[in-house]
Amino acid sequence: MKKLPRPLARALLAATTALGLSMPLAAAHAAKTVVTLWSWSPVQSTTQAMVAAIEKAHPDIEVRATIQPHNPYFTALKAAAASGTLPDIIGLPPGAFTQEYRPNLMDLSSVAPALWGKDWQKNFAPALLTQARLGNPKGDQGFYMLPQEAEVLNIWYNRAAFAKAKIAAPPKTMAELVADAAKLRAAGFIPFYQGGGTELFDAWVYMQIAAQTDLKGLLAAQEGQPVWTQPGMVAAAAAWQRLFTAKVVQDGALSALQYPTGANLFAAGRVGMISLGSWWLQQTALSDNPALKTMSGYGKFFFPAVSAHSHVSPPIGGIDIGWGITKTAQSSPAVTKAAQIVLKELISGVGEQVALDQLNDLPAFHGMKPSHTLDPHLAPIYDSYIAELQTAHPHAIGNPVIFDALVANLQAIAAGQKTPAAGMAAVQAVAQKQAH
Amino acid sequence: MSTSAGSTALPRLRPRTRRFRIGASQAEAWLYVLPALLLFLLFELYPILANLWTSVAQAKGGPSLIRYGEAAGDPVFWLALRNSVLWVVVSIAAEIAIGFPLAVLIELGIPRGRAWFRTLLFLPMVVTPSVIALVFTTLYAPDYGLLYGVFRSLGLGGSFPAILGEPALATYGIIAVNVWQWCGFFVLMYCVGIAQLDREILDAAAIDGATGFARVRHVIWPMLRATHVSLIVLGTVQALQQFPLIYLMTQGGPANASQTLATYIFQTGFDENRMGYASMVAVVLFALALALIAVEYAIADEWWGKLRAGWLKGDAR
Repeated sequence: MKKLPRPLARALLAATTALGLSMPLAAAHAAKTVVTLWSWSPVQSTTQAMVAAIEKAHPDIEVRATIQPHNPYFTALKAAAASGTLPDIIGLPPGAFTQEYRPNLMDLSSVAPALWGKDWQKNFAPALLTQARLGNPKGDQGFYMLPQEAEVLNIWYNRAAFAKAKIAAPPKTMAELVADAAKLRAAGFIPFYQGGGTELFDAWVYMQIAAQTDLKGLLAAQEGQPVWTQPGMVAAAAAWQRLFTAKVVQDGALSALQYPTGANLFAAGRVGMISLGSWWLQQTALSDNPALKTMSGYGKFFFPAVSAHSHVSPPIGGIDIGWGITKTAQSSPAVTKAAQIVLKELISGVGEQVALDQLNDLPAFHGMKPSHTLDPHLAPIYDSYIAELQTAHPHAIGNPVIFDALVANLQAIAAGQKTPAAGMAAVQAVAQKQAH
Repeated sequence: MSTSAGSTALPRLRPRTRRFRIGASQAEAWLYVLPALLLFLLFELYPILANLWTSVAQAKGGPSLIRYGEAAGDPVFWLALRNSVLWVVVSIAAEIAIGFPLAVLIELGIPRGRAWFRTLLFLPMVVTPSVIALVFTTLYAPDYGLLYGVFRSLGLGGSFPAILGEPALATYGIIAVNVWQWCGFFVLMYCVGIAQLDREILDAAAIDGATGFARVRHVIWPMLRATHVSLIVLGTVQALQQFPLIYLMTQGGPANASQTLATYIFQTGFDENRMGYASMVAVVLFALALALIAVEYAIADEWWGKLRAGWLKGDAR
């Protein structure tokens, strides 16, 4: 028998060995159940760490996570829903977005008892559960998303800037806010950075003010009721306008972006005050600056009283991000089971623990806390957020058409194109139309 | 018999042969066209028709023009429509006003290094709109932007306008960026047009006394009719479909001031989840593009007709 040439024989041997070695690996890979996950949050690096922790805890599950920025994510989600190619798990804010995908989502109230026990609802703050169902049709008590992380909105301030501007304490009244802004400007700082081009933050500042001028009205408005012309709602719009006319916010604020510009300028120490929230604590994991790493250089306060008859704003906040399991996950019992396991890990397991250790935001699930001891400067801030979350009022407008109308009219009011009354009347007209 | 049979066979044969040949060539032609035709039907015609249907389809009952009626009472729709027309008029006027003189200068006024200038002016075209939007948003920014720095160094910091934050200025601020990006394309097209002009005509015009500005106005400008029409049509389509710059720089704000039909389609369809309404806006945008281009062709034809008549009169004299 003729022998094969030696180089060819070697090559064949190597190929056979490689094939033989790779087969068990491929088999092991094939044995894993793949769960696909899309979201806009948490940030890529945090999500990767969360996924790694989940895969480590469940070697038979592979999580394929895709994180995109907010707008592209929701555009991609819409296209995927239309084409029937949604991933197994999707990240969702409460309200309009969750409702949009409700037909594609599993009702988690039938899944949750198996994951967290019969009394599973006790693990979440009641306000968060209410928000998770925001916009459900009448009589539908289902949960199409469950919260992983929650947030509280507030105003942050830079202690060094305040000291340089000779401001002893955060403002408690609108008059003090105006005076402090002037001092900060004179000291060379951007007094109150408002990313007026970032719609969400316009609405959030307005809602913080409305929470003190007409809390009932604000809550009703969030549910879609046409109450925008109530005196308290108009008063909030007038206070919003004053931020611009009294030069509390920076010049050209309506073209500015809260992210990345505002947040970066604030982190760089050029801004005195900015409306952000509990998620700003992420900076402790992302920054090397000691003032940020321990938050020793920063403090927080709620929106000052806008009139003699009102008080400092109560906390508003709620679900930052929640997760829903789509009907795509029903493709096989294995995927359904794996998706439920991943959901549990994201909300109350190793996934959330990783996010929490990076102080991504506040945990929605009772009993979850960072596994490391927080810096003495940081701990009181974190603890106060946790306490405030328990009483925070919702901060999401359920109807996107009303939301767009509110933002456009707030911008028109800020630009002086409309009076507060006229602006709110325009929002009211849209809300009335939507109510019909 | 044979003669008769042959004489009868010939006339029959010819048409048969011709029919066969024509049929084959037709089939062959359809075969060549078919892939492109299928793609056109699938990705152009079908979406247009589907969009048209979505704009009138109702959840209950038959098709209705109710959304078109709704648009009539929607101030943001009218603002977007007005801004779309503004984009076309201002962009094209500015791009021609800047592009044409620059092309004349490069082709006729610069003896060396034309290619270098053309490349330099064309460079913005190869930069992605997202980068351009980011750069110009920073340039325009009050308080820390580059333009503000220039104003401040001149002692005019207090009067620097918040270009993107001022409803009256936002649209013009973005159009200026669009003009900056597309001007190079206009220059390039005009350069090609000028380079293709018959030198004998230019020389003859010079002998007749048409030099300098008169030569540009009465000889070069009219002779570039085809280039003008092409650029106007292309500029119209480009201006009407402009989306990334507006979306990235202002998201149609502040207070919808920079909203155009293109951005309004996105807002109503994707932000507000009103696909039917967004489809209606898309139909209006489509109709507007067709109407504007038809008007442009009509004006160009009339203008060209008058010009030719004037020339003929001149020749007759």
